Amino acid sequence: MRHNFIDRYAALDSPLHLLEARTKILAFTGLIVAVLFIPVDSGILFFVYFFATAVLMGISQVPLGYIVGRTLFILPFIVLASLAAPWHGYMEVGALFIRAVLCLMLLILLTNTTRFVELLRGLKKFGFPQILVMNLSFLYRYLFVLTEEAMRMKQARDCRRVGRAPFRKELKILSSMLGTLLIRSFEHAERMHSAMLSRGYSGDFPLISRRRFSWNDLAFLCGVAVFITSTFGLR
Amino acid sequence: MTDYAVRITRLSYTYPDGTKALEGIDLDVLVGERIAIVGPSGAGKSTLLLHLNGILTGTGSVKIMGSNLEESNLKEIRKEVGLLFQDPNDQLFCPTVYEDVAFGPLNLSVPAAEIPRRVDKALNDAGLDHSIGSRSSHHLSLGERRRVSLATVLVMEPAILGMDEPTSNLDPRNRRHLIEVVSGLKATLIIATHDLELVLDVCSRTVLMDQGKIWADGETHDMLANAGLMGKHGLEVPLSLRSGVRST
Amino acid sequence: MHIPDGFLTNRLALSLDVVSGATVLYAARRVKVDLSGRMVPLMGVLAAFVFIAQMLNFPVLGGTSGHLIGGSLLAILLGPMAGFLTMTTVVIAQALFLQDGGLVALGANIFNIAAITCFSGYAVFRLLGGASAKGKRLLVAGFLSGWASLMFSSAFCALQIALSGAIPLSVGLTTMLGYHAAVGIIEGLLTAGVLSFLLKVRPDLMKVNGSANFGLADWAGALIFVAMPAAILAYAGSSRLPDPLEKLLAGSPLLISGAAPEELSSAARMTDYLIRAAVFIVLVALGFLAGFIARRRSVKP
Repeated sequence: MRHNFIDRYAALDSPLHLLEARTKILAFTGLIVAVLFIPVDSGILFFVYFFATAVLMGISQVPLGYIVGRTLFILPFIVLASLAAPWHGYMEVGALFIRAVLCLMLLILLTNTTRFVELLRGLKKFGFPQILVMNLSFLYRYLFVLTEEAMRMKQARDCRRVGRAPFRKELKILSSMLGTLLIRSFEHAERMHSAMLSRGYSGDFPLISRRRFSWNDLAFLCGVAVFITSTFGLR
Repeated sequence: MTDYAVRITRLSYTYPDGTKALEGIDLDVLVGERIAIVGPSGAGKSTLLLHLNGILTGTGSVKIMGSNLEESNLKEIRKEVGLLFQDPNDQLFCPTVYEDVAFGPLNLSVPAAEIPRRVDKALNDAGLDHSIGSRSSHHLSLGERRRVSLATVLVMEPAILGMDEPTSNLDPRNRRHLIEVVSGLKATLIIATHDLELVLDVCSRTVLMDQGKIWADGETHDMLANAGLMGKHGLEVPLSLRSGVRST
Repeated sequence: MHIPDGFLTNRLALSLDVVSGATVLYAARRVKVDLSGRMVPLMGVLAAFVFIAQMLNFPVLGGTSGHLIGGSLLAILLGPMAGFLTMTTVVIAQALFLQDGGLVALGANIFNIAAITCFSGYAVFRLLGGASAKGKRLLVAGFLSGWASLMFSSAFCALQIALSGAIPLSVGLTTMLGYHAAVGIIEGLLTAGVLSFLLKVRPDLMKVNGSANFGLADWAGALIFVAMPAAILAYAGSSRLPDPLEKLLAGSPLLISGAAPEELSSAARMTDYLIRAAVFIVLVALGFLAGFIARRRSVKP
């Protein structure tokens, strides 16, 4: 269990990467919502949005193989949904498939062109509840700490067993691992709280952004807005 | 008229589960003094440090720079007393180093324009380059994390600095670097540690704690060279004193 | 169980976004007032814990594996509100880091995986007297709380998917509930296992839960909480305004009641859905009510 899924391609510097987080959050959310509202029978619109997504993928420099690989995860759901195809009609299921894939790709683009830290700062500026922003921030920070501890425990466990133990034993082992990790979590939180108090914590949490909203951001947003309104307007 | 940074009188503390952590601690520290607190594990060293800024409150009195520690003045006290905890992971909880160091001043309502300068100064004082600000702490080595943790405390410009095992788990080079940084600090220092060589390098006065009580309080060299006293409390005379490497 | 974008009707997804958003805001208010400061770092670190725990797979028969979801465990340890916020954090992180679950579908996923698991798990735990129990009783309460949380959660998930027309309700419910009845055993066992470990090593942590009192108002709230959104779901699915996926239902026969396809008009089918949904809600509410009455009778709070 590695933690290289966070910010894997976020350090590239394509034009998309350089945009401010808020811009991308707005733009991609807008595109995802637009895709979800494409009517079933409008093949042209599907094609147009597919093309737009492909363009964005190209600009982003995120490896195509990676995006396609991640999109494959949606397959089981598609399979299940298409079991209902004989009744619904293949066009409807096809529409569902394309919509789902496009939305997923857009989400992948959003999260892989923005460092998680920047994403959080953007959310905070949008008025996301303070408590969630802090939680996400701590989750991000402690994911690495706890993953290391969990890996060490797993290795220690693996050193001491041969083959697969009976169900009850496995259960006990996993419960103790989880329990130990849980206790360590509580201890970390306790100490973190002491450290926060020592530095004057009283509820505020800094997320200082250095990226400023620039003309590029405005241009991109306007571009996306025009795109969405014109494609739906012309329908 | 001597200025006391810290005056602790008959401080006792019992944990919620009943274990006595501190019993009748009396300790006076002058402004600018550098004292070490040594003792076996579980002696109560860390617990004592936590009383310096009100994280823990026991019975007895704690006076910081002349003021009693009370609920109402905790904010001012925490500006005066900086605590460096043992595990850097628990002190670095912001997404980037810059935010971690800026955390303290922001809570103290330092004006926004002032903050970058303070952060840079603190990073410098801790022996770090300003460019480390944009990095995330999990990408740093332990030595760097220790120094960043120190910076997060130094940035508040405290008069008194409490440290819990500052050199633990550091490789020799990082350890040496940290000792250099610490030696250059102007604050009153109270260092709880097992690293007796560090004590000899930095602290002129040493307090020996065991089982929640203070057993000895005096000049560092004399105390640490006293084999009988050290042995009685689960410690050893440091190597450099034994082999006669150090002269003072 | 994380629903990607595109599988729910837009009306449904957006309604759930509103419901989940409101619940988050409410919970944020409650937690801030109840517990000053300590809870915040704790929720964050435990969110990391749950995130990791959900990735630690536990081999079950054959090649399949299960893992701990953690909703009821968190609710038991932190109280339902804080537990809910922590799970919400995990769900959001999973969407952002792993793209597990869609963006517009976030509301639905928060509802199923955070809200329902925490609140139902906590309610079951309290119903069984878990809060004041020791030993075997605590473990049983923990087990059933974990198991039930998955059952309720998957039931709502099936309901949402059915209302979106992708899979008929009867089929959806049977498969979801059936599958999760088995997986829920793992959840229950692990929840009980971790609780028992905690009890042995750090019993003081079991008392972190600050909301020891779960009064009548909270029970009423819990009932309304379960019934209302479900009613909203049903209404949301039944509106006549144009909606892309509604065309799925309009012309295509879904064999939900065994009747021949030509005999069912879309209105009749929707009524059928509504009735089933209503029955489900009423059953759940009755269950809580019965348990509540039984508890008032037997154990003095």
